[in-house]
Amino acid sequence: MLTKKRLIVLTIIVVVAFVLGRLAVSVMLNMLLGGRLF
Amino acid sequence: MKKMMWLLTCTLTFVLVFSGSALIKLKFPTFSNPLHVDWNESVGTIYPDLVYGEEELNNYDLYVPADQTKDSYGLVVYLHAGGFTGGDKSDDAEMLKYFTSKGYVAAGVNYSLRTDEIKANLYRMSQEIKQSIPVIQEKAAELGYHLDQMAISGGSAGGTLALLYAYRDADTSPIPVKMVFEGVGPPSFEPSLWLGIDDSDNPYESNDAAEAGAGFASIMTGEDITVDMMKNGEYKKYVDEISPYTHITRNSVPTLAAYGTYDKVVPFGLTRNFLKALEDNHVPHDFIEFKRSGHGLQNDRKEAKLYATKINEYLDQYMPN
Repeated sequence: MLTKKRLIVLTIIVVVAFVLGRLAVSVMLNMLLGGRLF
Repeated sequence: MKKMMWLLTCTLTFVLVFSGSALIKLKFPTFSNPLHVDWNESVGTIYPDLVYGEEELNNYDLYVPADQTKDSYGLVVYLHAGGFTGGDKSDDAEMLKYFTSKGYVAAGVNYSLRTDEIKANLYRMSQEIKQSIPVIQEKAAELGYHLDQMAISGGSAGGTLALLYAYRDADTSPIPVKMVFEGVGPPSFEPSLWLGIDDSDNPYESNDAAEAGAGFASIMTGEDITVDMMKNGEYKKYVDEISPYTHITRNSVPTLAAYGTYDKVVPFGLTRNFLKALEDNHVPHDFIEFKRSGHGLQNDRKEAKLYATKINEYLDQYMPN
């Protein structure tokens, strides 16, 4: 069984991985096509 | 052991979510496509892979609306992107379906691409587009759709071909051209602008620059441009022929254009002469600058929505159904 603490850690990992995944694609596209993130 | 399992779970979760998120971002970019319709038989019919010429890629897809009761219809032609070396009419199916849902006949047209074997150049591609329009008109009439006005449009390479047809070939078009809209299509093929050597009065003074310019101009025009032609300016008549902005006159059709400030493929500086020609000739136009984007117009959600809104406004104003 997952403890509450571990559930929180997993949730944070999911959120961070989701954001970083999108960010990685944006960075890659900007490198290829031009553009800036902010 | 338990700790190892936990670390493995965390790592796997990260990798799976990271990859999934990246894939979603690739498949569904920042902004959803506002030019979208749920396609079914009540919207229209698609006639794929019709032929308009003898070359391998001289084919087109024709989209006709289900409503066949009108006396005449407007045609929207969309020319695909792909750097003159790739791409296909099917890439723009979603957009073509959308135009059909608005009551237009729509066509996605292929054209010869430059490959190692086929030395297709921009002039030849533009002639093929010219060749396709009467054939599309005839096929539409055969299906019961009389075309009496048209808009031509495209993305990137297709944008250039659309601009060329609108500014250079519209006078001889069998269907009156009412407007053009395009994104990131090179409006000029002046070599010095592409090579970044446009900051001097005589950019082809050195042999290296003239050679580089001649190589670029030869590929794009299909003519054998020499170093001497670069130095004495003779190259210009060939380059101008395929540079849409040089054909802009006071009679040019309303123009909607979108470009990315940080474009690495089509330098944003190329749009200066384009904009000036539109302004000098008082051509009705909207120029949408995507200030954080490059060639994919990928980072500016607000401008993307504006571009879609403007396409609809232009169609309603200049090509009402």
